[in-house]
Amino acid sequence: MKTNINYKNIYYPPGGILLWIIIFLELITFGIALIAMVYYGKEEPNIFHNSRLMLNTTYGMVNTIFLLTSGFFMANAINELKVEAIQKSKKYLLITILFAFLFLGLKGIEYTGKINEGLVMGYNTFFTFYWSLTLFHVIHVLVGLVILISVYFGLNKPKTTIEDVEASAAFWHMCDLIWLLLFPVIYLIF
Amino acid sequence: MRSVSIITWIVLLFLTIVSAMFSSVQEKYIIPIIMTLAAFKFIGVAFQFMELKRAHFFWKSFIFIYLVIVITLILAIK
Repeated sequence: MKTNINYKNIYYPPGGILLWIIIFLELITFGIALIAMVYYGKEEPNIFHNSRLMLNTTYGMVNTIFLLTSGFFMANAINELKVEAIQKSKKYLLITILFAFLFLGLKGIEYTGKINEGLVMGYNTFFTFYWSLTLFHVIHVLVGLVILISVYFGLNKPKTTIEDVEASAAFWHMCDLIWLLLFPVIYLIF
Repeated sequence: MRSVSIITWIVLLFLTIVSAMFSSVQEKYIIPIIMTLAAFKFIGVAFQFMELKRAHFFWKSFIFIYLVIVITLILAIK
């Protein structure tokens, strides 16, 4: 699959201009929410500090590694697609999907632990932010996963273009970008 | 696999582990370090994995300005 798109053109960023508008809207939404969280953390420093210590930093770190690895294989899947190596691209896409499932599995374990401990949404301000932000992010990951699975099965179809796959990849990487901001603020700095 | 992608991936994993380790240090100066590491990771994913390095200057500057504003506000409020 080759492309003739000139990415240096302002109207054609890799993934498409519409997706980049969505990416910026999402980043701005999460950015404002994180700034609000830090603001409330300043109001209730002890509650935020003690609540942060109730989170498992290792889970957060491993989940970051899962998402980054998933993004790495997604980028490689695109590179292979550009040189028409469709089977290799599918293999990398499958690994991308596998790491997405690992992320969701670990998130599920983390959520189950928090619910069993009674640390649910509304427990305090910190956990209200924790649940709102991470759940909203998980919804994005689920949507991204559905897109990746549909791309995987659509790769052999002649009507699938490199632009379609690049747009899907851009959405998937957006999940990475959001998590890279959520991880330090929620798990590390309070 | 491109060697640039592999190097970027290894650096991103390394920075993730380092920032998680820093979180156990209870010093005020650690927060700017953690957020700076997060900013580097953000740039790494955006420019290498999303190939923003090949995009028009507008998109590169937009994401860079976004990152600077968010990180600066977080550090200023914290």
